[in-house]
Amino acid sequence: MKQNSSILLLFFALILLVFSFLLNISLGSVSISPSEILSGIFAGDWEKASREQIILNYRMPKALVAILAGIGLSISGLQMQTFFRNPLAGPFVLGISSGAGLGVAILMLAGSALGTAAFGGMVNPWAIAIAGTLGASLVLLTVSLVAWKVKDSMTLLIVGLMFGSAVSAIISVLSYFSGAEALKLFTIWSMGSLGGLVWDQVWVLSFVILIGIIPVVASVKSYNGMLLGESYAKSMGINSDRLRWLMILSTGLLAGSVTAFCGPVAFIGIAVPHLARIVWKTSDHRILFPATALIGASLLLLCDAVGQLPGSAQTLPINAVTSLVGAPIVISLVLRKNFSKEF
Amino acid sequence: MQEATIIGSNLSLGYSKGNVRKEILTTLDFELFSGELTCLLGPNGVGKSTLVKAVLGQLQPFDGEVSLDGKPIASFSNEELARELSVVLTEPFLPGNMTVGQLVAMGRIPHTNWTGKLEEIDREVVENALSATKIEYLRDERLSEISDGQRQKALIARALAQDGKVMVLDEPTAHLDLVNRYEIMLLLRQISKSQSKSILVVTHDLEIALETADRFWLLNCGTPLISGLPEDLVISGQINQLLPGENFRFSVKKGRVESRADGAKFDISGPDELSSWIEKALEKAGIKVLTERMEVNNPPFVIKYAGREFSRIEELLRFLI
Repeated sequence: MKQNSSILLLFFALILLVFSFLLNISLGSVSISPSEILSGIFAGDWEKASREQIILNYRMPKALVAILAGIGLSISGLQMQTFFRNPLAGPFVLGISSGAGLGVAILMLAGSALGTAAFGGMVNPWAIAIAGTLGASLVLLTVSLVAWKVKDSMTLLIVGLMFGSAVSAIISVLSYFSGAEALKLFTIWSMGSLGGLVWDQVWVLSFVILIGIIPVVASVKSYNGMLLGESYAKSMGINSDRLRWLMILSTGLLAGSVTAFCGPVAFIGIAVPHLARIVWKTSDHRILFPATALIGASLLLLCDAVGQLPGSAQTLPINAVTSLVGAPIVISLVLRKNFSKEF
Repeated sequence: MQEATIIGSNLSLGYSKGNVRKEILTTLDFELFSGELTCLLGPNGVGKSTLVKAVLGQLQPFDGEVSLDGKPIASFSNEELARELSVVLTEPFLPGNMTVGQLVAMGRIPHTNWTGKLEEIDREVVENALSATKIEYLRDERLSEISDGQRQKALIARALAQDGKVMVLDEPTAHLDLVNRYEIMLLLRQISKSQSKSILVVTHDLEIALETADRFWLLNCGTPLISGLPEDLVISGQINQLLPGENFRFSVKKGRVESRADGAKFDISGPDELSSWIEKALEKAGIKVLTERMEVNNPPFVIKYAGREFSRIEELLRFLI
């Protein structure tokens, strides 16, 4: 009976996702009704050619990226929270977002800081994605070396956080010495953006996210075992060393690729797993992973819709919107009685 | 006929840091029998946890071998071992959102497929574990909302659901009240008999262990592991191994640990069970000698001393001090 109600809730979450998706692509500087979008997509029957352009080449990719990013970040967050048994862990605790930031900062700022215009003023989105990926991989590789050396997960967590701080410091130094133009470019990147990706990039991102989810599916039972802590997990035959590697690999792919393509997007990864736990009232990861993915995707779609400031030509940076939505959620969670007990 | 499920022979245990070996226990031999509740007792820091790790196959001995069912424990894979051995640890943080039923079902993890789906047989084992620990009524309660004693039973049920031959419990009665401590230990004893499991309990609760255990393992610094029937160890005085130093000893007569009185002998006439409590109170109050003979009667309870009568020990002490 319990199982059934969880599955029913998952079904509702799926409907919420579809609803958020339609809302997201129908809102913007021009409002396009969902019925028009549906008839346009399925029957090829658009009222104006410009609307086909807007929907197919701008809003659709952006909405898909929001879904992918929402899934990637929230699933990474859930993995981290369970593995480290820490309610404040998120996808970026191992320094992944700082790493991606470093890669992009080197691309955008280093030329300016060194006084040469090595990369020019224009930076194309592929270059940004590749730089972000390289940066994230570099940090991830270093953290993995540490993980290989130390077996204690709390040490790994602290080392990850320290790496993040150190890398942020390097970015600060680069920012300090770079020109105003490059600095603005980097600042805008660091505010995150779901838009501006072309279809090719959306496919690449989808592929990476898909690969990143495979280890999660394969270790769902191990994550359940980890709920009782590493010692119990070991006593139940769970290979926590293998799980550590799968987790690093998976969060690296998921959070790393999202950050590389969209810039840092805060709070989704921390807040969504808690939301899922509260709504589904379970700690079973067979339910929590799909629940988290659905909520994460819907929440990011809705945040993005809000950030569009419907009816105006302006948009808010996505990172600001998610923080504005996410911070109150996390604060209200922490203020709840028994929060840490129920985690 | 009892069979030994876990045998340790000529073990040397410890930890190595770099090239430096730190041996904690040497030339250790033990046998853990099925259908028995064995209590491991010893002072803090003597290596109980180290020994338990070796029993669980989590610590590679420097020398010697631990074998489970006649096969070296190192030859078992993690999963195979999990089907034979289960544990109850002193883990303070449990997910509060989880229900007792879900916790117990986690014991099936080593037996289920990669998704962790419970089959009919798994459900049956979980039900049996819940009923053996008498906590069926807690099935849908969340772990954050039950008492410490109930949580401990739930953890025992989880270990039981893992359905191995051996259960190892690390101080399962710490933080519990007196009744719960008895209940938990009696429950473990019952399980060891009814399901013929080998149960090893690390505990500091000597008095309750004496009441419930089939076998004691006494571990002390620098001496080999002493294994035997609790009553034998009491009679032979080996139980005093647990009490290093001069200040305490185990009273065979009273069945409990006492501070060694400094030769204080009081002349008290009356029923033994009453005079012993009066002696205890006098000792605690630091009174070494009585100038006269004391008389105790019951009922009504009255102490006669120095021509006066006292109806409570407290009055007597007020008079003496």
